Amino acid sequence: MGSTIGRRQVLAAGTAAGGLLALSGKAPAAGGTKPLKGVTLNISCWSAPYPLLLAKYIPEFEAETGARVIYTTPSFPIYNQRMGLALATRSDAYDVVNVTFIFIGQWIGAGWVLPLDSFIANPKLTPADWNAADFFPGTTTAFRNAAGQLCAIPWIADVMMGGAARYDLISKAGFAMPDNFSEMPKMLAAVNGKDGVPGFLTENHYGWTFPGYLQGFGANIFRNPPHDLMPVLDTPAAVEAAGFFSDLLRKFGPRGALSYTYDEVVAALKSGTVNYATENEAFVTQMAQPGSKVMRTCGFSLFPAGPAGRFPQVATHGWGIPAGSRNKDAAWQFITWAMSRKLLLRMFREHGWSSVTRRSIVELPEFRSKLTLNGFDVAKMYLDTVDLAAKGYMAYRTVPPYPEVDRQIDIAIQGIVSGEKTAQQAMAAAQRNSIVQLRRAGVKL
Amino acid sequence: MAAGRTAWSLERRRAFTLGLIPALAVLAVVTIGPALYLVVTSLTPLTPIRPGSGLDFSTPFANYRQALFTGSFDHSVWLQLELSAITVGLQTLLGVALALLLNSESRFMGALRTGFLVPMVLPPIVVAIIWKVLYTPDVSPVYAMLDAFGLRPGALITSPVWALPAIALADTWEWFPFTMLMVLAALQMMPNEPLEAARIDGASAWQMFWHVRLPYIRPALTVAVLFRLIDSIKAFPLIYVLTNGGPGRVTEVTNYYAFIQTFNFAYWGYGAAIATLMVAGVFGLSLLIARLGAGGVEDA
Repeated sequence: MGSTIGRRQVLAAGTAAGGLLALSGKAPAAGGTKPLKGVTLNISCWSAPYPLLLAKYIPEFEAETGARVIYTTPSFPIYNQRMGLALATRSDAYDVVNVTFIFIGQWIGAGWVLPLDSFIANPKLTPADWNAADFFPGTTTAFRNAAGQLCAIPWIADVMMGGAARYDLISKAGFAMPDNFSEMPKMLAAVNGKDGVPGFLTENHYGWTFPGYLQGFGANIFRNPPHDLMPVLDTPAAVEAAGFFSDLLRKFGPRGALSYTYDEVVAALKSGTVNYATENEAFVTQMAQPGSKVMRTCGFSLFPAGPAGRFPQVATHGWGIPAGSRNKDAAWQFITWAMSRKLLLRMFREHGWSSVTRRSIVELPEFRSKLTLNGFDVAKMYLDTVDLAAKGYMAYRTVPPYPEVDRQIDIAIQGIVSGEKTAQQAMAAAQRNSIVQLRRAGVKL
Repeated sequence: MAAGRTAWSLERRRAFTLGLIPALAVLAVVTIGPALYLVVTSLTPLTPIRPGSGLDFSTPFANYRQALFTGSFDHSVWLQLELSAITVGLQTLLGVALALLLNSESRFMGALRTGFLVPMVLPPIVVAIIWKVLYTPDVSPVYAMLDAFGLRPGALITSPVWALPAIALADTWEWFPFTMLMVLAALQMMPNEPLEAARIDGASAWQMFWHVRLPYIRPALTVAVLFRLIDSIKAFPLIYVLTNGGPGRVTEVTNYYAFIQTFNFAYWGYGAAIATLMVAGVFGLSLLIARLGAGGVEDA
């Protein structure tokens, strides 16, 4: 009795199935057919430039298919908490969700989102020219489960780079965009406070913004992820990296630098109230868009290299279908639409969306030329960074218990920047606590 | 006659019991059931990542051992006590002081009383946003003013020394009207005779407060303190919005610690154990305060 199918569900499913056939060209042409009429799709993603931009196009999907879309974009932490609960309880509250990079190990590992291979392979559900192979392998690899099945379609290659709101001040002081760690403090010391603008800022999710420095100094989070998850946060190189990074925030950051979330960093950069940041490409390139006060003065570079090399962090987020969804085919229809080459190209042409995951778009000459911002070839930086990440140094991030270690890194950096602890003390505590947390999570160390 | 009375008495008791059953059933479903489930869950390593972990009772006290012997929980409890002591103390002092000042019948005082109630009726998230703005140097009018005078104070919410007091200040602003309202209500119910008698006897203002008014308002004050104490332990929106438990762990009070363990790390069983310990703690504190505050005007 518990699984009784109601009349409305039968009708909705029938309509959806007929609609899918119509969309794939297998149904008789019917003028004005709304293939998903009667279907309501609940879709959620965290609040980032792409999902916010997508909201502008969703009415077109609704008009084309007849589906009703309930679309929400809460902030990153709220989204993750809400979705973790919904997925864990196999809730049917959502039909399409963002699979958050940091939770890939948990969400995909536990089978909370569906493998998509059967959808992709089904010609009735996926247009022939959709071409799943067009997505950067570096982004799709992260979304594969233990059986090698793809569980999400990446909507972003979130690459970390350097961005300056007031490159004019930097060049006036005789510097270029810093290419390595040793140039950074020199440049920042020269421009910090010029025109009342603090030199450096980065978002307060240090489990994301710090590892590029950590690895640049030759350290890492784990000894050899994903096989050996013994934390190595208290090595001399890790302590040196933590001291270096914290010094940048302490000496050159605005007052209350520790409280800046990613959207506040973007706002500070766009309004020119802070000069230089190492942040995601999708965030820093907003400085060059209309409405930004620093549109004409901003500059860009690859994430600076450390003594051990260049380790720009690359994350990816993707659309997935929760195991509990009752509208799986319609959900896939939405994903194929949202991630179609046609729509992504329109988003790029009409709104400058540039963190694209389809190689065929990134390699277009018009993409390269439009992403040359104030003379900086951001498209090349983007491709170079994606290629760098293919070396595999991001493996630490998708192991299931990483969120616990991520929190320890946050606490350590906050402790150092606020002066509560030395780098040595803070990283030793992070190491101790990470071991406790990993053992609790069942990791054999 | 006696047998008839006993039968009637039994019948009456049965009727009362039957009448109570619906209320007891609702209570069991709404309150006791979830509370018992919380306690049962706390005896398992429940996590949504491991199916079946909710039925694993092989080490029933592991969560409690983890909480009591690993340090992070202790740390959060000390912070909680510190925060509760500061907020409840300040709210009581401020609430009583303002209630005494506003205890008159003029229309102006009436309007002023209403004005003071505003923070309490605002949604907690709005209060948190107001204080986020006030505490953020880039956008805060307070910082702008201090900067104009050549002072450049650091950001309170990212300072390991000032982050907790900053939370306490915001919480005090939000909730002192509650204490003020309770005390004011008690003061307005107070008969005039004892005050007049004290005045005739030549009592000073302080003596009138200490020996006459305070004993009279003591029961109301006890209830207010108790409510505020329980509420202070539930502090969440201010910490979530202003500090996220940081910098480091300096504002990671027990409630927030439980939240992180449960929702960020998916340790539901452990979160249930912390919640159980919190309930036990609040219950014990409530008993203690109720006992200390019992008596009131009769004891004076």
